[in-house]
Amino acid sequence: MKPFALVRPKTLAEAAKLSAPPDAEVKAGGVDLVDRMKEGLDRPRTVVSIIEISGHDRIEAGPPAKIGALATLAAIADDPGLHKAYPALPAAAGGAATPQIRHMATLGGNLCQRPRCWYYRLEEFDCRKKGGKECFARDGDNRHLAIFDSDLACCCVHPSAMGTALLAYGATLEIVGPNGTRKLPIDQFFYRPVSDSTHENTLSPGEIVAAASIPPPAAGARSAYRKLKQKESFDWPLVETCVDLTIDGGVVRSARVVFGSVAPTPYRSKAAEAVLVGGRPGDELARRAAEAAIADAKPLTHNAYKVTLAKVELERALKQAWA
Amino acid sequence: MSDEPRGGFTRRDLVRGSLVGAIAASVGTTARAAPIAEVGPGPSPLELEVNGTVHRLSLEPRVTLVDALRDRIGLTGTKSVCGRGACGACTVLLGGKTVCSCLVLAHEAAGQPITTIEGLATDGRLTPLQEAFIAADALQCGFCTSGMILSCKALLEREPKPSRSAIREAVSGNLCRCGTYNHVFDAVERAAGLKTAEVTEPPILVGSRIPVPGSRHENDPRVDRALREVLDEEGMA
Amino acid sequence: MKEKIRVGFDGDFQVKEIEIAEGDPVPWDPSKKFSIVGKRVPRLDGKAKATGEAKFSIDVRLPGMLYGRILRCPLPAATVKSLDLSAARKMPGVRAVLVIAKPGDKLRFAGQEVAALAADTPEQAGDALAAIQVAYDARPFVVTMEAARKPDAPLVFEGKAETRTTGGDVETSKKSLPRNGNVLGPRASSKGDVEAGFKTADAVVEGTYATRVQTHSALETHGLVARWEGEELTVWASTQGIFDMRDQLAETLGIPVSKVRVITEYMGGGFGAKFGPRVEGLAAARLAREAGAPVKLFLDRKEEQLATGNRPSALQTVKAGATKDGKLTALQLTVYGNGGTNGGTGTSGPIKNTYACENLKVDEYDVFTNAGPGTAMRAPGHPQGMFALEATMDELARAIGMDPLEFRMKNDPSAVRREQFRAGAEKIGWKDRDARRKTSDPSILRGIGVGAAVWYNTGDTGPRATVTIHRDGSAEVEHGAQDLGTGSRTMIAIVAAEELGLPIEKVSVSMGDSRLPFASDSGGSTMTPSSAPTIRRAAYQAKLALARAVAREWKVPAESVTVGDGRVSAPGDPKHDATWTEACKILPSQGVAATAERAENHEDAWKRFTTGAQFAEVEVDTATGKVRVDRIVAVHDCGVPINRLATESQIQGGVIQGLSYALFEDRVLDDPTGRMLNPNVESYKIAGSLDVPEIDVMLVSVWDGVNNTNSVGIGEPSTVPTAAAIANAVSHALGVRIKEIPITPAVVLAAVGERAAAGERRVGTLGRAERGPGFREEDAEGGRS
Repeated sequence: MKPFALVRPKTLAEAAKLSAPPDAEVKAGGVDLVDRMKEGLDRPRTVVSIIEISGHDRIEAGPPAKIGALATLAAIADDPGLHKAYPALPAAAGGAATPQIRHMATLGGNLCQRPRCWYYRLEEFDCRKKGGKECFARDGDNRHLAIFDSDLACCCVHPSAMGTALLAYGATLEIVGPNGTRKLPIDQFFYRPVSDSTHENTLSPGEIVAAASIPPPAAGARSAYRKLKQKESFDWPLVETCVDLTIDGGVVRSARVVFGSVAPTPYRSKAAEAVLVGGRPGDELARRAAEAAIADAKPLTHNAYKVTLAKVELERALKQAWA
Repeated sequence: MSDEPRGGFTRRDLVRGSLVGAIAASVGTTARAAPIAEVGPGPSPLELEVNGTVHRLSLEPRVTLVDALRDRIGLTGTKSVCGRGACGACTVLLGGKTVCSCLVLAHEAAGQPITTIEGLATDGRLTPLQEAFIAADALQCGFCTSGMILSCKALLEREPKPSRSAIREAVSGNLCRCGTYNHVFDAVERAAGLKTAEVTEPPILVGSRIPVPGSRHENDPRVDRALREVLDEEGMA
Repeated sequence: MKEKIRVGFDGDFQVKEIEIAEGDPVPWDPSKKFSIVGKRVPRLDGKAKATGEAKFSIDVRLPGMLYGRILRCPLPAATVKSLDLSAARKMPGVRAVLVIAKPGDKLRFAGQEVAALAADTPEQAGDALAAIQVAYDARPFVVTMEAARKPDAPLVFEGKAETRTTGGDVETSKKSLPRNGNVLGPRASSKGDVEAGFKTADAVVEGTYATRVQTHSALETHGLVARWEGEELTVWASTQGIFDMRDQLAETLGIPVSKVRVITEYMGGGFGAKFGPRVEGLAAARLAREAGAPVKLFLDRKEEQLATGNRPSALQTVKAGATKDGKLTALQLTVYGNGGTNGGTGTSGPIKNTYACENLKVDEYDVFTNAGPGTAMRAPGHPQGMFALEATMDELARAIGMDPLEFRMKNDPSAVRREQFRAGAEKIGWKDRDARRKTSDPSILRGIGVGAAVWYNTGDTGPRATVTIHRDGSAEVEHGAQDLGTGSRTMIAIVAAEELGLPIEKVSVSMGDSRLPFASDSGGSTMTPSSAPTIRRAAYQAKLALARAVAREWKVPAESVTVGDGRVSAPGDPKHDATWTEACKILPSQGVAATAERAENHEDAWKRFTTGAQFAEVEVDTATGKVRVDRIVAVHDCGVPINRLATESQIQGGVIQGLSYALFEDRVLDDPTGRMLNPNVESYKIAGSLDVPEIDVMLVSVWDGVNNTNSVGIGEPSTVPTAAAIANAVSHALGVRIKEIPITPAVVLAAVGERAAAGERRVGTLGRAERGPGFREEDAEGGRS
């Protein structure tokens, strides 16, 4: 790591101002940032630590729920209120990383972490995400990378389990910036790397995620989260699926279907949703929705198997939700 | 970096640990420090409360907790294996919770009690968990052991009678290359009083005698010849 | 002196007459009632490890100690154009710099060492590394075996292959082999006439099997702390051979062996990669000499993954034939191995030494690539060789319509392993394996597979030990062996305690220091069979010395005094009977001591390979391709296990490493850039607590009389069969042959697709296989559906 000054403001608003310059980085749990700094991917002169700022680690399960951005994944995984109202959220948090990391990692950090693409993660590769000209993954070893939106400027997959679950639940983020606070639907938080792949979200310099709010579940709401990993102990998922449905009178009335770890953003499958709405829960509906979901998959040279996994996992997530 | 004097001792002295003993104070003399506006990038003073002893250090903000513990304070029981939070060898309890000390900045650990493996035994008396690790042979090379034990300690504090699957989950962030896992599970079950040592040892010899056509385990000439061949050829003799 | 001993196993013994060397005790006999050998003894250093007090070499801190770092080449093939250390030398805290690769030197893999430096703090050393100015001329490179074998491939070595071998590497050949471009070989061996064997076969199968590169990933990285005092060098190293380290340091640095001391008190694993000072150890010693201060230089995980060795990959084609009544008629192996800049990639151990076959042909080729050098890793060549062999055995059994285990039994010349197969099969429930294939979930299939183990070592001569009996009745063993974490320290104490008839608490062990009597490297599973007989011999001689001292005191002939079971007595003479403690009181303050050197193996004893058999039961999700190993039964020959607990632990470890190899481990190199993409322990995937099954360890005691303790090592045999057993279990579940490891979801899904394409008739253990020309369809029993 290069030397840096550690700044510890007392409020998020102060932190926002301090972290606006390009050579400053916000640090919460530090799990991702310190890793990147050790590899030399980030060399901030100032690290603005927000982890000790009080009041932002609260979890109000509601419903509606409001979760402070400094709530740890462990706290989210263990919250009984969330288990009841939004079971996919603790499932996503509890299956992430390792017990130690879950004690450190925060909701905000999980949403803002950088991708795990191994070309990005090694300092030797000056890839597009670092401002370089080349994407090494597209013609290189892309076995873990995108199968949806894989033709954009970057074919990495977004690693945020919390993003996958919050997108399914239609959460709204509270953002604190140098010029005040704003609300941002999570649909608009993740950035599709259409041309620029140096960032994964739409935050402006100095903006910090402060909290996530989740609307109350409708009557008949059913949700499920699944994570498929090659290895059970500490592994990044090959595919995540999260579904949030409302079922009324034996018919699916609304559906949000989100895949994680398959696209540069948590990926909402509107095609699957369209099949689901109006359908009757059952194996046949699950199969049709899953087939619709993968219809627009664009696998890379080494990851066609992930398309199969996405299909199977969505079928299973749907069956789990309405079981 | 120059050896600028700070409060009567030099940075190099601190680095080399020769003054650590002299400045170690007893617990309770520091409350959680008021937030410091800015430290660094050069060495800045901090106090770490490790196993009930306060250590006054001067470190750059980039120094991680594991490096402070090992290289500056000299508590080398905490190991550094991957440096990136993937293996759990550097696990310590920070404010009572397991964390990877390789990803914690030492300055940010100030003000919270830190427990390392060295802080478990009291007056040379081991905890039942440590005793169980030894009895169950839940350690081979011992390099993952400190982290394993701390993860298991945190589990037992939360769940005094954990299921085997809860134990598996609790150490899922602790990588062992020797393959002690099953013995770690046994050790935690022992420490939790869920399993006692086997009273009767099953016999080492297995099975019944098998009829071996035409031989009473005579040397098989093929084996003998093959053995010589391989030893000669592969230079193993 | 000739002695008759009983040899054999499982209660079935024969008497053999062997020549016992003078001063050596007669090998323990099956009638021996052990007081401690064979019991479960918690390791003596357990407390030190469980409390964090154990000082590993990486934990050593010395006054004024500096921290060393190495600069590495980021390119897979380059020539150093210029190297300027002057800016780095001026960086804060820097005390010494060292050129490793001079301008003009060729670098052959990404991660190869270029320069090194030492500074006051680890951070300063890291900062200064970035100030080293180096320019490279990039050269063409090749990292895959496929590309490297092409006629126009860039050459890894233009001239002579400058491979780096270490003490752990198998010397692959004494004669020089043909080299064609990047391909070295074949190392050819054969017996009988393999073509004739195929002609007499009723079925012939052939398959090509791929394995990938596995890295050792010992938790403690490579490195050492070096301290000079004048011309004397002391190093605290993480090494599998302190004496080999000592000798190499002395030779390379040009100082007498007597001026070098190597200490390895505790060690965080080795697995074959830690022999000799290597580049980093020599750099530390040179930096320390230049700086006039001790230097600690341990690698970080990335460096460890890039440059410290690995198990080479292999592409093995195995062709085999058998008669319809289950007799192997021919075995043929052709293997290409990618050892990066090293050779020694052969995998023929298993095919040569497991099943009996009169016609055998082996051709082994090393393929050089611009990749980190392969080196010895836990049973070099064997897990990969056994994977291909055992897959072939299953395929051949299927082709002749015979149960795979029955087929193995018919061809296994080892009575011990036949018993292991039998016992393991019973434990895992082999006979129900077909019935258990299907589960209530149509996507989940279960399978059971088997693999054999073979290994060779019964120990080497050379080790020496000193055993001292003190006047207070305690005993001390001095033996310079290192304990890698295998439990050698405890093993040494147990052997001494057994021979002296003392409780283990009365025995102290000094080890891990080259100032102590010589011990062998810990490699090839030879530590125990080399050291245990040495310790026993020294203890035996110390005991005789005690008897002589007591006899003098009692004024009786020395040969009339016996020592055992905690007593010293002259049988038939009730006046002369004392407890051990009383007897020792007569000793002078120096006690009595004996130093002994290990006797030769008894060549005339009962010889056998070290054998084993493992069975795996797996669950395969055919929809996601995910494999879960539910259970492993591991049945092993460990000679007479000295510490049953540590033996079981080590077998557990071998199985878990084998499982990790079968399902996860894969060093990924980037084709276009030649760099390793997963130099960590995160995307280089290693099995963790949630991935390991329950493992049943069963031991078969074998009394071979080859050495006086009947001991063999278990480190390597325990990892030889695991991947084979798992791959066979997955193949059994799927009804399709798995031909590559690691068995990732992608691999399984491809196999499932192959099954679908071939139609359901292939499903089942007795489906069709590729058949040779001699095969007659009607010979297969139940071969078709």
